[in-house]
Amino acid sequence: MTFFQETLIIWRAELARAARSGRVVVLLALYALFSILSLLAISGLLRLVRSQIVGEAGGDPEATAAFEAALQDGLLGFLVGEAAAGSASMQALPIVVLAVFRLTLFFLPAYVALVGFDQISGELGPRSFRYLAVRSRRASVLAGKFLAQATLLVGLVLIIDLLIVGWALVSESGFTLGAAIPGLIKLWLVATLFSLAYLALTTLCSVLARSPAVSLALNFLLLFAFWLADAVGSGRAALAKAEGIDPPVSALIRYLSPSHYASGLLHPDLQAAGLSALAYALFAAGFLLLALLALNTRDV
Amino acid sequence: MNPAAFELVDVSKVFGAKRAVEQLSLRVPEGSCYGLIGPNGAGKTTTFSMLCGFLRPTAGEVRILGRPVDAPGALKGRVGVLPQDAVLPAGWKVGPLLTYWARLSGVEAPEAAAREALEKVALADVWGSGSQTLSHGMTKRVALAQALLGNPPLVLLDEPTAGLDPKVAALVRQLVESMRGKQTVLISSHNLEELERLCDGAAILDHGRLVQAGSMSELTGAAVGFQVELVPGSDIPLAEILAVPGVQEAVVDPNWQLRVRHTPVEPTVEVVVAGVVRVLLDAGVGFRSISRGQRLEARVLEVT
Repeated sequence: MTFFQETLIIWRAELARAARSGRVVVLLALYALFSILSLLAISGLLRLVRSQIVGEAGGDPEATAAFEAALQDGLLGFLVGEAAAGSASMQALPIVVLAVFRLTLFFLPAYVALVGFDQISGELGPRSFRYLAVRSRRASVLAGKFLAQATLLVGLVLIIDLLIVGWALVSESGFTLGAAIPGLIKLWLVATLFSLAYLALTTLCSVLARSPAVSLALNFLLLFAFWLADAVGSGRAALAKAEGIDPPVSALIRYLSPSHYASGLLHPDLQAAGLSALAYALFAAGFLLLALLALNTRDV
Repeated sequence: MNPAAFELVDVSKVFGAKRAVEQLSLRVPEGSCYGLIGPNGAGKTTTFSMLCGFLRPTAGEVRILGRPVDAPGALKGRVGVLPQDAVLPAGWKVGPLLTYWARLSGVEAPEAAAREALEKVALADVWGSGSQTLSHGMTKRVALAQALLGNPPLVLLDEPTAGLDPKVAALVRQLVESMRGKQTVLISSHNLEELERLCDGAAILDHGRLVQAGSMSELTGAAVGFQVELVPGSDIPLAEILAVPGVQEAVVDPNWQLRVRHTPVEPTVEVVVAGVVRVLLDAGVGFRSISRGQRLEARVLEVT
């Protein structure tokens, strides 16, 4: 039996088990509730800002439009980067969609950790992994379990993106189905690629720890470390840019963090988006390779 | 010589500062039923786990049916394992779980194999039960069933009857006996009486080292000795017994056991036993039973 056949058997079995468990429903509900809360909060905030703009413009339609355009550019610059903010494809998506999507993207790594922290560690602790290890390659177990979790995530992310875009279709005037469908596909692809890289990190943590609780803690520790590396590195680079000097070597640390490439994924320029996508693919491959090395050499 | 079912060559396993197994070499031929014996902490479970590929040796080589145990897919469909302390995974019904494992082992007709394995352990009725709803004994039998899926040529059983009621333990022993000659079986156990009954040979471990290995008759000395349970208070004619042709040594222990060691080939053990019995009867010494060799338990207590 080949590696691929084993992987397929494990993938199907794990997927069926996950589908039977109530955990998927709970996680979906958690993610959906978080997204709905974000939608409500951000929609409310935007409405408030717009009413203030109208008030400050004193009813002048031209001034209102100018304020709104400035707000749109400013928010887009914050959400997807200044270079991408002015593009037509970004302007086609309502701000509320991008804001909620960016927010969910920020919390997605934590959600991914909750989805998959025990995929391997949950079988190492009680040693049920031994029943698999004796009849299959460890690489197949890793691949089968990772793919099962990935399949679930891709589905969950699609549901959430549908929810966000659907909300915008109903609530945002001028946002049409014609603009919503390509936007939805783009957001889904971005979220999928993003979440797969973090799922690979979760898999690595799950291989390293025998206890699911330790696996989850390690996963969050690494997430914080990555966020910190991006924040510190980007901050130093921005500071150096403002001062008109070359960024210090320590600013390069931001490139080691997956979160650094998140904005680039939404970039309208194909090359820029492709580079970010490549970075996430490399992170995913690297984490999975490390997980495989760890699983192949560790005692089970 | 039969090819080796499994072989350990200078195998050591270290956990931090603790040397669990040290330079262990052991070769067990195909078709035998072999025991792994030793007190707690002797290294039995570590050795067993290295044979199953669960633990990686710190040094040395483990070969299973001619292949290194850590070669990808080396055990698939060829080795059935009953791990001592592994729980069944949650979220499964027993039947589909065994079918899944059979499929992964490459067994043809996996569902039929799963049903057959459950029938072997007399648990056909738990097919639709949840893996986490079974009693301890049932869980153990399901775990045993998965080890038997597809009748693999090598079956490794860690404490197969521990925690089972006498009736089920007898069923498990029958199962092992039914494998004799068809499959190689390794049993790691503290139940020495059971091992003595089931196994052709055994290895005795202590403090991570191999103390003794050999056939059961070699271990118990059955080939070169016997014991006579005497009626207490008798006057034992030891000089006459030592004069019986073939007798090399004769001692009476405080429990009134006459232990006789004799030459391994000529005269045969039957002739020596007959000679000793004649001396005892002539001297009017009463005895209750005669048994060959030393019990395995006594041997293990002696060497560990």
